[in-house]
Amino acid sequence: MSAVAVDQQAPRRNPLVAALAFAKRHVLTVYSLLFFAYLLLPIGVVVVFSFNHPSGKFNYVWQGFTWNNWIHWDGVPGIRSAIVLSLEVALIASVVATALGTLIALALVRYSFRTRAATNILIFLPLSTPEIVLGASLLTLFLNLSFVTFGLWTILIAHIMFCISFAVVTVKARLVGFDRHLEEAAMDLGANEWTTFHKVTLPLIAPAILAALLLCFAISIDDFVVTYFNSGNRVTFPLFVWGAARIGAPPQVNVIGTAIFVVALTAMLVNVLLQARRSKGAA
Amino acid sequence: MTDQLSRRQLLERAAMGGAAITFPGILAACGGSSGTKAAGGTTSVEHTLAKTLHFSNWTFYIDTKGQTNPTLDQFQKRSGVHVDYREDINDNASFFGKIQGQLSRGQSTGRDIVVLTDNDRYLSLMIKKGWAEKLDKSAIPNMKNLVEVQQHPSFDPNRDYTLPWQSGMTGIAYNDTITDPVLSVDELLENPKLKGKITCLNSMGDALTLVMLANGDDPTKVTDKSFNAAFNRVKKAVDNKQIRQFTGNDYAPTLAKGDLAAAMSWSGDIAQIGNKHIHWNVPKDGGALWTDNMLIPKGGDVYTASVYMNYVYDPKVQALMEAGDPKRKITGIYYIPPVQGAKEEALKLDPTVAKNQLIFPSEAMLNSVHLFDDKALNNQKYLEQWQNLISG
Amino acid sequence: MGFFHRHRGLTPYLLLAPGILWLAVFFVVPLGFLAYQSLETGNIDFGYAFNWAWGNYSTAIRQYRPQFIRSLEYAGIATLLALVFGYPVAYWIAFRGGRWKNLLLLGIVAPFFVTYLIRTLAWQSILSDNGFVVRTLHQLHLLGSDGRLLNTSVAVVAGITYNFLPFMVLPLYVSLEQIDGRMIEAAEDLYASKLHAFLRVTLPLSLPGVVAGTLLTFIPAAGDFINAQLLGSPNNHMIGNVIQSKFLELTDYPAAAAMSFILMAAILVAVMVYARLVGTEQLTGTAV
Repeated sequence: MSAVAVDQQAPRRNPLVAALAFAKRHVLTVYSLLFFAYLLLPIGVVVVFSFNHPSGKFNYVWQGFTWNNWIHWDGVPGIRSAIVLSLEVALIASVVATALGTLIALALVRYSFRTRAATNILIFLPLSTPEIVLGASLLTLFLNLSFVTFGLWTILIAHIMFCISFAVVTVKARLVGFDRHLEEAAMDLGANEWTTFHKVTLPLIAPAILAALLLCFAISIDDFVVTYFNSGNRVTFPLFVWGAARIGAPPQVNVIGTAIFVVALTAMLVNVLLQARRSKGAA
Repeated sequence: MTDQLSRRQLLERAAMGGAAITFPGILAACGGSSGTKAAGGTTSVEHTLAKTLHFSNWTFYIDTKGQTNPTLDQFQKRSGVHVDYREDINDNASFFGKIQGQLSRGQSTGRDIVVLTDNDRYLSLMIKKGWAEKLDKSAIPNMKNLVEVQQHPSFDPNRDYTLPWQSGMTGIAYNDTITDPVLSVDELLENPKLKGKITCLNSMGDALTLVMLANGDDPTKVTDKSFNAAFNRVKKAVDNKQIRQFTGNDYAPTLAKGDLAAAMSWSGDIAQIGNKHIHWNVPKDGGALWTDNMLIPKGGDVYTASVYMNYVYDPKVQALMEAGDPKRKITGIYYIPPVQGAKEEALKLDPTVAKNQLIFPSEAMLNSVHLFDDKALNNQKYLEQWQNLISG
Repeated sequence: MGFFHRHRGLTPYLLLAPGILWLAVFFVVPLGFLAYQSLETGNIDFGYAFNWAWGNYSTAIRQYRPQFIRSLEYAGIATLLALVFGYPVAYWIAFRGGRWKNLLLLGIVAPFFVTYLIRTLAWQSILSDNGFVVRTLHQLHLLGSDGRLLNTSVAVVAGITYNFLPFMVLPLYVSLEQIDGRMIEAAEDLYASKLHAFLRVTLPLSLPGVVAGTLLTFIPAAGDFINAQLLGSPNNHMIGNVIQSKFLELTDYPAAAAMSFILMAAILVAVMVYARLVGTEQLTGTAV
């Protein structure tokens, strides 16, 4: 007998019991909302300070409200090219790393082959290598290849390299415990391997791929050390911020951080609303 | 500025950088030998200007107006040389860590001018290892405007390789709402009322200069004895938790918010904190003077770089860079310029800046700040001891 | 059935090839350089030479054992905290998220769009000695009257936990979301309480996610340096800080390299112990 059935048969509910039941049902939601509040608390501070009008170059003490920073968001030299570069790299690196990582995850989970254990270890190694030596030794490799010029490509290569492991582990979490019966059913019904893969498997692991994309994007857009060593004289957003912080990161840095956050959120929101409309239309 | 160049053009320029100079360097590197001299550059300096000058500097370390840098634009107008200005230096150690790979293989770094600080080991290291090009002094007649105190530093006695960009001072900042004035290192390190509310700089040159002066020792001539005395004093302050943290310039937010009573800090930052309760002073026993220097890394274009340096040493240009010009909405650097005559010019542009003691310090103030012994900065034993202390 | 069926033996290798090749060239080769460097002796003034200098390793372990251990401790605690705090949220998003799932996932990752330095500065602001949080803790006597949150080991671990939360929550979500809701309903029908159902059905099914999240959090956290640098005091520093200073300030590249390998070995050992505990099939992926 489920607890719900018992409740419904009870004649009249004591308001306290009802309140308690309400709380129990919603404790998870309340907790999660608190969690998000905690997670986004610093973001809140960042957003607030993006409207600050600092009297010096340091943006630590609230001095007064202004729209200026938003209007002149690229009023600081170098900030625009930095964020554009970071976004480019993050987008490309997350897509490529997730693609490569998904393939590896598929191989690791579904097939048994001789070098499987070694491959697993190889995947973990980049995660465990301290960034500074990771960046520096990649730099050494590039220096030994005389045709390499430092810039977008070297940054991209580095980012893809350290993102692959994250993508593999994330997608693997989905593939382990994946119900193969659905695929077998599809193939019994006449689909070949490729059709099965792209009409059955892929949609089912889509959440994992999205999660991997998000994770890789976040890692890439925030990376500092490895990028620093392999960027030549290009400057990404984190590099810019670290450099600027020496004399005082201008409020425009807050503006850009907020903007990315808002744009991404809006994009997702639009996506959700569109999907809702689509499914309503279909129904 | 650089936004207008397409990426391909940028890569082409970077690859061609000091054109004839880079390619043989790379070929030599392929051959596996390190330390090969890059051809061109050193012996016969060609007196032709390159099309582009690649200048790597610290962030916000030049005059700005919106997205542009007026003095750089002016330089381009006068000389026809475009300055590819990159703010990709934010720390001496990491920048060195980044370029040493190329330099040790005899490859060009793709930069004509870099800026490194003199109270860290890297500036003198570059010179000692032959990784710096000699300046073309014939192209820098304005060098005579270099202020007296900067003319013969220990790491480059004849100024063959470097020229100061900007200087700053290290002293003590305190918050008057939390504490009485903290005007000496003795107070900073030993006043029990300040326990856990002070920070020390993580730069050995800065920190030990101050402590040695407080001990009555001479920081320009460090001995094992004076080093140990200063070191132990700091160690004591760490062990009894007087020192809260060793910081780079990240003391600023904590100081601004009142989490710190006092901090060992750099002069330029304090005006920027925006909290009128924070005061900066040279400590009673003396403070430190540090200078960021321009240097031409091996493989850089010596003549073009020298011509730029000459431009920067024109008092009018220096004044504009330093103080900015409120009338034209140009923001200055607000550190200490190394060029004589800049103050007079700055008075015409922005008198408040010209009269600011932290930007144009008085004779007395300049006499109270000192440099650190360059040999000690390169002493591996000292460095290890210091790192073990701050990275306990 | 075509190419793949006939060449079944070849399929895994084809799938692996692009990614593994990428790693082989851009990770393994550099790692080789690093290994070579770790056995060198010398200094920046006179150069480095290969010397089979195993001494670099023994010196590193001897001198910096506290930092190695501390790093594993801090990373371990942070991972545990991330798991405990992150699991309920992953659960909530997976089962109650509905069509807002993707949006919520984005919310988890959003802090990363604001550079690490800026969000840490924001935390320094929030946890300031005179800020609301600390003052409340003082009033509740949870913190001594002159206690502080910043520049303590608490701050360092909290910083690591906060910054690695997405690495825990996303894999957890990935694994939870896959669980069929009806299975949970059935379990709840069978077991006396929801808690029981959770422990017997949901939790075991989400174990791959737990393992993935734990690994993605613990492993990089152990080598972290930035949280200790900005939020710690000198005696909170981790091995990442030491490696950083060996490389940058001391230009002692062989030492930095040797220490990195020691760290990697220590992490590998920890992971293998962990694998024994949870069962290797979670790690390798199939019950072989």
